[in-house]
Amino acid sequence: MKQDSLEKIKLIVLENNTAGAEEILSDALECGLEPVDIIENGLSLGMKQVGDLFERGDLFLPQVMMAAALMTKCVDFLKDKMPEEEKDKKTIKVVIGTVEGDVHDIGKNIVKVLLSVNGFEVHDVGRDALTKKFIDKAIEIDADIVASSALMTGTMLVMEDIEAALKEAGIRDKVKTIIGGAPVTEYYADKIGANAYAENASEAVNEAMNMIAK
Amino acid sequence: MEYNQRMGDGRLVSMTKDAIREDIEAGAADAADRAKIPTLSDDDMERLLDIMITQGKTVSVDVGNEVVMTTDMGHSVINGNYSECGGSGVSVGITAANQIIERCMGADSVGVQWYDYTYKSIKAVITQQQQELESILLNTTCPCCFGSMPNLGAYYKPDGPFENVGDMMAEGKITEGMEVYEQAAEAAIEDVFWVTQQVDKIGIDNINIDTAGAAGDGDLLASLKSAELIKKNTGISVEMGMANEFVLGIHGGMEYAGERLAGMYAHKLVKVAEKAGVDIFGPVCNTNTRMSTPWNVARAVTFLKECSRVSTIPLHANMGMGVGGIPMVENPSLDAVTKASKAMVEIGGADGI
Repeated sequence: MKQDSLEKIKLIVLENNTAGAEEILSDALECGLEPVDIIENGLSLGMKQVGDLFERGDLFLPQVMMAAALMTKCVDFLKDKMPEEEKDKKTIKVVIGTVEGDVHDIGKNIVKVLLSVNGFEVHDVGRDALTKKFIDKAIEIDADIVASSALMTGTMLVMEDIEAALKEAGIRDKVKTIIGGAPVTEYYADKIGANAYAENASEAVNEAMNMIAK
Repeated sequence: MEYNQRMGDGRLVSMTKDAIREDIEAGAADAADRAKIPTLSDDDMERLLDIMITQGKTVSVDVGNEVVMTTDMGHSVINGNYSECGGSGVSVGITAANQIIERCMGADSVGVQWYDYTYKSIKAVITQQQQELESILLNTTCPCCFGSMPNLGAYYKPDGPFENVGDMMAEGKITEGMEVYEQAAEAAIEDVFWVTQQVDKIGIDNINIDTAGAAGDGDLLASLKSAELIKKNTGISVEMGMANEFVLGIHGGMEYAGERLAGMYAHKLVKVAEKAGVDIFGPVCNTNTRMSTPWNVARAVTFLKECSRVSTIPLHANMGMGVGGIPMVENPSLDAVTKASKAMVEIGGADGI
């Protein structure tokens, strides 16, 4: 029964079931499912599938955005039903941007949306963002993760500068770094000392979630 | 026994024949699953295996299977910056660079590509481009091409007049974002056609609408409509090369000839390209840097084979760093490049590269 409920909850975002969302969530709560369980094992899995389908060309950006908006509404609905200690749970803060010299941001924007709907607090420093902007924002918000994107082999090199700048600022040990973009590889991530490489937006979310779990 | 292979990120690894065969099967199956097309036949997979286990530094197509090469690089291969243009950084002018690629490297096309590689930015330097093209036409023999990207991203602020559609949609302005995206596509069509008219005055042979769909379905629509205009109003042939193995649905509702463009893979893309009057189509397959070259090439060949089966126009597969099964490195190894190329021609059915 729990599994059936979670499957229905997953479908809320997958099918953009705005009209039926509250009823399904209320039923799940009445069946004894905890809000956190509903979010992590229902809604989030649905959003993950939305991201995967988008990256296969089976869903499109407006649908992803609508699913993200519905997810946010569902989480807000459930927040009222959460125990106080769950409400106070630390939100993981992410600084994200496209590196200096690079104006490509489609992929980065999709990562931003998927991270947001999965409960991360995302601070976007934009595209062609100076390295200093990444560092300053990370310090300002006490970031947990710094995520950078590049689409060109020349601009990808700035990611190494970000690693160095984080060390120089004395916060490298406090943050995890994720890098991604067309020319970026896992080998490059290892080479520059980044914590993770993400092949696509869904993977970026998975890597961020793995970082929380550790 | 183990065989030297490459990974998608260019690393050299050793793999057994069975492991290579498994990766070929898996790569082909992945393509088939995503695009809902047939996977490779057992015979094709065995042929691909034979190619991949060859241990020479280079392989080549068999005599009689030679194909032509059109290029989006042209002179940049010689005088372009290494990092961004994949060039050799040799300090020669554009005409001499084209003569080198034609006479010394056996290229089948020459041409000009402006370094700020978008039709929008070319408008500002078009007279210089015309001068370069004229000189190239007078000093080379093979077909002369001019290429660039429609690149809808260049139309968003601060580079262009429109709000960033991705940002608008993230703010919940979905309908407004879709409207702006449609307007940006119209602006791109104007620019592509105008630039083509200017280079047509010089007498070039081919226009390359490159990385069609790079900024999503609107970008592809702009490319198709531009091709239509060019074919109706000039005598230039049109080559359209894709950016991605499928079309990202930034809008989701954009159609051409009654077909929704978002989500299309190569075998369907070539059909809308034909309807637009495109003369040469360049399908793309993106390299997965975590997987082996056998996996990546098998995947690329599977997409291409189905595209080749249905196409009535020549296919010049996009081959290069990170596409066509080739590793994502600035200087991909000869073994990987030539194996991928041979496979794409002799199994995938490419008419050119």
